[in-house]
Amino acid sequence: MSSEQDHLKETDTEARFEFKKEQKAAFKADKGLTEETIRLISEDKDEPEWMLQRRLRALKQFQKMPMPTDWPGQPDLSEVDVNEIVPYIRPDIETRGGAESWDDLPEDIKDTFDKLGIPEAERNALSGVGAQYESEIVYQNMQEQWQEKGVVFMDMDKAVQEHPDIVKEYFMTKCVPPSDNKFAALHGAIWSGGSFVYVPEDVTVEMPVQAYFRMNSEGMGQFEHTLIVAEKGSEVHYIEGCSAPKYSAFNLHSGGVEVFVGEDAHVQYSTVQNWSKNTYNLNTKRAIVEKGGRMEWISGSMGSKATMLYPASILKGRGASDNHITIAFAGEGQNIDTGAKVYHNAPETKSTIESKSISKDGGRTNYRGLVHIADGAANSSTSVECDALMFDNESTSDTMPYMEINESTVDVAHEATVGKIGDEDVFYLQSRGLDDDDAKQMIVSGFIEPITEELPIEYAVELNRLVELEMEGSLG
Amino acid sequence: MAVLEIKNLHAEVATEDGEKILRGVDLEVNSGEIHALMGPNGSGKSTTAKVIAGHPAYEVTEGEVLLHLDEDDFGADFEIPEDKRTWDLLDLEPNERAALGVFLGFQYPAEIEGVTMTNFLRTALNAKLEEREELFEDEDEAEDEEEDVGYDTSPMEGPVDEGEVGVAEFQQLLKEKMELLDMDEKFAQRYLNAGFSGGEKKQNEVLQAAILEPSIAVLDEIDSGLDIDRLQDVSKGINALRDEQGTGILQITHYQRILDYVEPDMVHIMLDGEVVMEGDASLAQELEAKGYDWVREEVYGTA
Amino acid sequence: MSTQLPANLSEETVRQISEDRDEPEWLLETRLDALSALEELELPDVIQTPGRRWTNLEQLDFEALVDPLNAADRTERVTAEGVEVLPLVEALDEYESIVRERFGSVVDFKTNYLTALSAALFTTGTFIYVPEDVNAEDVKIRAEMNSRSLFSHTLVVTEKSSSVTILERVSTGDAVEGERYFSNLVEIDAGENSYVQYGSLQNVDENTYAYTLKRADAGTYATVNWIEGNLGSRLTRSDVETELNGDASETKIVGAFFGHGDQHFDVNARVWHNAEHTTADLVTRGVLDDTARSVYEGVQHVGREAWDTNSYQRENTLMLSDESEADASPKLIINNHDTEASHAATVGQVDKEDMFYMTSRSIPDQVARNMLVEGFFVPVLEEIDVDEFREDLAELISSRLRA
Repeated sequence: MSSEQDHLKETDTEARFEFKKEQKAAFKADKGLTEETIRLISEDKDEPEWMLQRRLRALKQFQKMPMPTDWPGQPDLSEVDVNEIVPYIRPDIETRGGAESWDDLPEDIKDTFDKLGIPEAERNALSGVGAQYESEIVYQNMQEQWQEKGVVFMDMDKAVQEHPDIVKEYFMTKCVPPSDNKFAALHGAIWSGGSFVYVPEDVTVEMPVQAYFRMNSEGMGQFEHTLIVAEKGSEVHYIEGCSAPKYSAFNLHSGGVEVFVGEDAHVQYSTVQNWSKNTYNLNTKRAIVEKGGRMEWISGSMGSKATMLYPASILKGRGASDNHITIAFAGEGQNIDTGAKVYHNAPETKSTIESKSISKDGGRTNYRGLVHIADGAANSSTSVECDALMFDNESTSDTMPYMEINESTVDVAHEATVGKIGDEDVFYLQSRGLDDDDAKQMIVSGFIEPITEELPIEYAVELNRLVELEMEGSLG
Repeated sequence: MAVLEIKNLHAEVATEDGEKILRGVDLEVNSGEIHALMGPNGSGKSTTAKVIAGHPAYEVTEGEVLLHLDEDDFGADFEIPEDKRTWDLLDLEPNERAALGVFLGFQYPAEIEGVTMTNFLRTALNAKLEEREELFEDEDEAEDEEEDVGYDTSPMEGPVDEGEVGVAEFQQLLKEKMELLDMDEKFAQRYLNAGFSGGEKKQNEVLQAAILEPSIAVLDEIDSGLDIDRLQDVSKGINALRDEQGTGILQITHYQRILDYVEPDMVHIMLDGEVVMEGDASLAQELEAKGYDWVREEVYGTA
Repeated sequence: MSTQLPANLSEETVRQISEDRDEPEWLLETRLDALSALEELELPDVIQTPGRRWTNLEQLDFEALVDPLNAADRTERVTAEGVEVLPLVEALDEYESIVRERFGSVVDFKTNYLTALSAALFTTGTFIYVPEDVNAEDVKIRAEMNSRSLFSHTLVVTEKSSSVTILERVSTGDAVEGERYFSNLVEIDAGENSYVQYGSLQNVDENTYAYTLKRADAGTYATVNWIEGNLGSRLTRSDVETELNGDASETKIVGAFFGHGDQHFDVNARVWHNAEHTTADLVTRGVLDDTARSVYEGVQHVGREAWDTNSYQRENTLMLSDESEADASPKLIINNHDTEASHAATVGQVDKEDMFYMTSRSIPDQVARNMLVEGFFVPVLEEIDVDEFREDLAELISSRLRA
């Protein structure tokens, strides 16, 4: 092990996320959102006409739709003025569509991802990695064995050029149309970067593929689009990581994720979100699940100033199933409004939602979830469990589930609890030598344990470390 | 050799108009000795134990709880400087007291879901060693030791900070101690006290003491709710603490029964918040035969 | 504003109602004030998710439903020793200062369009006053609606350390051609250390739209227990709410509904924990048959200063028919960490194993199902203190099952 790596080992995790790079760009759009901007972005990307037209249609819809403001207790979005956002920054790189070697990247970008540990993770535990810096994918690589089996894992922009038929069919058409909500429309107009994943029939991608999203510039918006098409009988696990250094101006992240889970296919989508606390994180993530298919959403929301995220599964085919695991941690000044949506549109469909939230130092968490069982979705079942832990009297913890049941042969159960950290428990741990913070931290780890035990080990470790950092209140 | 010295300890419940519970307790426990603290319900035994450990529900209004250490109390490699051999426990946080070698075995141990025994005990052991370093560190030294600045490794790797006692080493230690106490190995992977029977919890308290190797262990009703087999296991554990680690034991009990297996060097009897009678092991037998009314009569001259 | 003022509703109408009852000036002013607020007020909040509005109150055609000057009811009031039970209008003479002080103190008439409409137009209702230290037996109110529309207002005041059990039964008498509207506001001002159980059993005919808002203010050590049974009506919107404003106050909101045909029940139970050491328990059980539809919202709101709160909520819906629909939203809003709170909700059908067990003991399908449904309501029935009320409710459930 080199001495530099030794040096890296000894430092605290906090520093991993909190570093800024000088902002260098090859192309930077002006602030704000006009038809002119959209045309420029599309031109800079050398896009086909049909994609430009889709962007412009989405822009029109965005301009027509009101900001969502009427949800009970929702985060305050009044600061989010899209005209103050820099929507598109192309980093200064030579290879468009992502370099295949980290060494081909400019030193400062390479250094950023080194610090985040991405190349090392790639060597150890991943089938493929994509890395996005500002608005563009700068690195994209996948092990050869998967390429040989016909698996595609590429920059979304590149997929528009190289796989136009698939993209035309699936991109913001049947899963997340721009008309879905204001931020989906915004996303449709100015999306950039993201991943395209295609897994052919009966192929199981054994190790996860990971994409890492990094915002480095002040006042920018990141709008990556992820499209996953998993054909019949295939299996893939996609991991998404996000971070940004903190600036005084607000940043906006509004990603779009569309997942098509084919017959008997299995897709797992995991996110650990650690955006800086000036970031508004407003995403639309949705999966359509065919007969016998299985969708799993795992989300850890630690960062951001405000998050509104409700990954949705539409269980379209008989026997399709869904599993949601959600962990939210809101510290000072944070409003984490997250949950799940499941539409049971076919018989014998099944969903399980587990949510754990922690609020501390005036933070607010909210579980907002919708389970809809359509008429005819006979013998379907759903089970929802939400637990919340509160640290102090300044914090807020809300739970707002909605259940719509239009079928009688169903099994619907929802349970929720809210509690505090027990003084006696803390004292017991203290008397064994743990200090006050460590004792509370241990109780919190125990609280989220039922969820972390279901995660891949690397993931659980990362999540636990982020929780530890939150507990120390030390993340920028 | 460590000595726990309690002088004229007064304490009350830490609320407005809190009830006075301790009214001048005097007590001394040396390491390597076993002391039994007996008394009727409400006499202040459990409160004494909790105040020694620093429970926030009680406020000390008068008196001292001192811990005297010898230079080699933390092993040959750790020399305790002369000016840091006596500590007033009342100035310290509960975890600092634990780091100095004071252990409380709880009457009602907390149940913590989601935290395995192994994880908990290894964390506690490492926290104790770390805290001990801090307590004995010179202020000057502390300033020099600034953390290196830089970045961590992969988010996909295991925990970087293993602590002084590594996983493998700890598991060996845990295995030995569990065998000593005749505990089932599966306990190691269970959540801390969650769903344990009363007896299992008590056994677990003694196991924790065996791992943390305290100088002084205060065991609050460690014998209640135990069947005879488990009582023998627990007693074996307590004797081993004294014999192998030289721990001084202050054992709070209602019953003479455990004293048949763990013979005390000294017996103290509490009444109304004070220690009113002291003697050797025969005092416990006399108490068993004559009851607390006899004590009351001896002390106050009335029944 | 969302709803137009009925054409036959004017200041004249309101003055007429007040004059007919020889009311004091302050009450007329209150009525006129409510009337003029109508224009700005909205209908009660209804849950809306993408693509689904849970209850459509806009369908209520007040022009056709409201006929304020021809209101008619027959109300029987059974009093108990030590308690004053009077028609609200009569109480204006004898207890004017109390009525004036407390009327509208718990239910704000400007809560929504329907409460204001009620305040402007009410013609019936009851005043119940329990003086200090009086432990009253059962008070019974049997109200029968005999007109197109009826607006009722009930005010309950319990003084320090008093207790009372009140049952109210609401039904329709004389048949009226077409649709009807029944509005029932109840407010309870529960004084220090007093106990109130208020049971209400609504069984109006199935051409009637029913709106009820029942709200209590619980003082220190006070207990307010609500029982809300809904069987009748075409559409019911029911809000039962307690504000726990006194330290150590308690409330229980128990609800039961049974929908058949194309009935629609929108039932809501809400509690606000505003003081220390308060306890709430919300329990609702409902059964749906045919194309009936239910909407349930339960809210447990724990305020910033509500230390040491205990709050529980359970809602269970049983679906007997494949054409029925059930929406539910149990909410927790927690602003103080010193809280133990939970909620649970289930929707399902009669347990197949249970059915099989019973039919294997030679009980016919239909009988087995009925027994299981009756069993499903037992936890709610057990909460009812008064035998007569419990038996009434059980009888209504039983006869509906056998219809």
